[in-house]
Amino acid sequence: MNGTKDALKTLRRGFLSGAGALTAAGWIGGAASGWLLRPGWAHAAGPIKMGIATDITGAIAPSGNADWQVAQFTVEQINKEGGILGRPIELYLEDTASDPKIAVGNVRRLIQERRVDVVLGGITSAMRQAIKDPIVNRGRTLYIYPQLYEGQECTKNLFCTGPTPAQQCDKLIPYLIKTVGKKRFAMPSANYVWPQLLNKYARKVIEANGGEVVFEEYYPLDQPEYSATISKIKDGKVDCVFNTVIPPGLQPFMKQLFESGFQKNGGVLTCVYFDENTLNYLPAPEMEGLYSCLDYFQAVDDPFGKKLQEAYSKRFPGTKYLFTAGAAATGMYRGIKFYEVAVKETKGDLHRDAVAAAMDHAVIENGPGGGAAMVPGHMHCRMNMYTALCRINNEKPYYEVVDKADMVDPREC
Amino acid sequence: MVTVIFDIASFTSVMVLIVLGLGVIASMMGIFNFAHGEFVLLGAYTVYLSATAGLGLWFGILAAPIAVGLLGLIMERIIIRRFYASPIIAMLGTYAIGLVIRETVRGLLGGHYESIPEPVSGVFSIGGISFSIWRTIIIVATLVVLTGSWWMLARTSIGLRIRGALENPMLARACGVSTTRLYGFTFAFGSALAGLAGALIVPLYQLSADIGIRFLVQAFLSVMLGGVGTFQGPVVGAGTVGVMASGLPWLVPPVLADPLVFVIALVIVKMRPQGFLGATRS
Repeated sequence: MNGTKDALKTLRRGFLSGAGALTAAGWIGGAASGWLLRPGWAHAAGPIKMGIATDITGAIAPSGNADWQVAQFTVEQINKEGGILGRPIELYLEDTASDPKIAVGNVRRLIQERRVDVVLGGITSAMRQAIKDPIVNRGRTLYIYPQLYEGQECTKNLFCTGPTPAQQCDKLIPYLIKTVGKKRFAMPSANYVWPQLLNKYARKVIEANGGEVVFEEYYPLDQPEYSATISKIKDGKVDCVFNTVIPPGLQPFMKQLFESGFQKNGGVLTCVYFDENTLNYLPAPEMEGLYSCLDYFQAVDDPFGKKLQEAYSKRFPGTKYLFTAGAAATGMYRGIKFYEVAVKETKGDLHRDAVAAAMDHAVIENGPGGGAAMVPGHMHCRMNMYTALCRINNEKPYYEVVDKADMVDPREC
Repeated sequence: MVTVIFDIASFTSVMVLIVLGLGVIASMMGIFNFAHGEFVLLGAYTVYLSATAGLGLWFGILAAPIAVGLLGLIMERIIIRRFYASPIIAMLGTYAIGLVIRETVRGLLGGHYESIPEPVSGVFSIGGISFSIWRTIIIVATLVVLTGSWWMLARTSIGLRIRGALENPMLARACGVSTTRLYGFTFAFGSALAGLAGALIVPLYQLSADIGIRFLVQAFLSVMLGGVGTFQGPVVGAGTVGVMASGLPWLVPPVLADPLVFVIALVIVKMRPQGFLGATRS
């Protein structure tokens, strides 16, 4: 009898953890009207309310869930160490559902019903554009955007904590031209704003360093066939492909490029949104020799980052949502820490203008990949940038950091 | 030039492979199966499951048409057969089925993209020009499946009965042909073709919940272009769309190529509303 009971219990536990996985996968989360993570203790002045608006469901749910997990992780760490000036952070989540139309209404709920003091989130530029007005202008609330992006976001009270084109190109491209020795670039790209503006900047850096852009071309996001492009790469004697094709168009492109023998004949591929998540997007042989440039890689040799990763895996054992740079997770961590520093400076004054004034020159000593410092008046931050090369060991791809640049300037606004 | 032809042929094969099942169901049963893209997805997902379970890729590719065919049979018995009287409702119904399948798989994959390697990867070269082995296999497989399906529908007694049931269901029933069983079989057959298509193409693309959608719109365009009511019609339509979709990027910027396919196809449909080979039966 007891045995049956135990079996039932484990069965139910199995079911519950299964349900948890479904929630994480975005099956259930979207149906509820927001989530709340309350701290385990209280303070007379009440908690600091932090809103997270990210894509828990829809096409980019993997990144959104990673951001949400990192937000929980970071806030729990802060709360465990006594909160900000003794006040705990209460975390509110709204799903932006990878869909700007749905997002606007949900984000409004964070502002109007939850009355949060700050909102962090948004991954795609389309999402940022859609939710920044309800947050910053109509909502009169501070907004922190954590993802690497195309730049040119200069809205007051909107702070960006992810890398800009300058940060991703200024070191990487000279490295490719001078150290790796590649000169002729091709820019195959998905047809939307990030590749367009990134390419514009990258082209300037390529030409300034003596390289040449053979062609720059845009495709529908889900184009399944790239033979015309591959032939242009071959005929144009391209030796470096600066790729901004994204999934689902990515795999057919990479496969056809690989099969054309581009890498075998000495060609180099670079893709600045590739992080540890994308290691499994493509078969290992296609990944070998690829360069990426981001603010953090798990291979970065820094004790603080290593400890952070350990604690994160302990908090979310076996999670498929990794703490990586490409998913905006590092920007999320940085954003929360910047906010913490800023509120400490205002001595607990949560009014937007006061916090924004402190945010403007906030500095965090540590973070994944190192510390970061807001550039006063520019709403973007200086941070360390790493160039990494993908290598293969036992058919498993991994990144090796080959170049590091300290406190690279964002050059925005 | 040879590479261009090879690339166009391989993409056209993918297109034909996907359209085949859709065309069979549309032509033989008058049902536009909006869940077709998701049947393709399930075929691809079967390969993924088989690979992660350690059963290997080939097992998955063989299992995919069987698994998806069986699912199609069950679907037909439970749901689709209620739609025969109203083709419009059938579109909505199958769309709903597709939505359920797609979102279920998205949940199971956690929204991630998964890479599935080819069972036989790499290239072989003839006269200094290299060809992808897997793409060659797809071209061959398409020809085999195409011939097999045509032979079954045109040359066997079951094919005769299917065509008879399509032509005049009442008369077929009067002659002792069980049309319900035939419809079940046809739907399962079309689903199995979708499953096989998914299994074969997934190594070329990434497995994600949306793999079927990419092709669904073009597949419908193919059926429209080729004409409903015959076996050959959708196949010819798929060939045309495939050649246009892979050939146009050589001539115009790729961003323009995509809509241009539709524009050309719509112009053709406007001129020949019944499609290339559409049956003019009313």
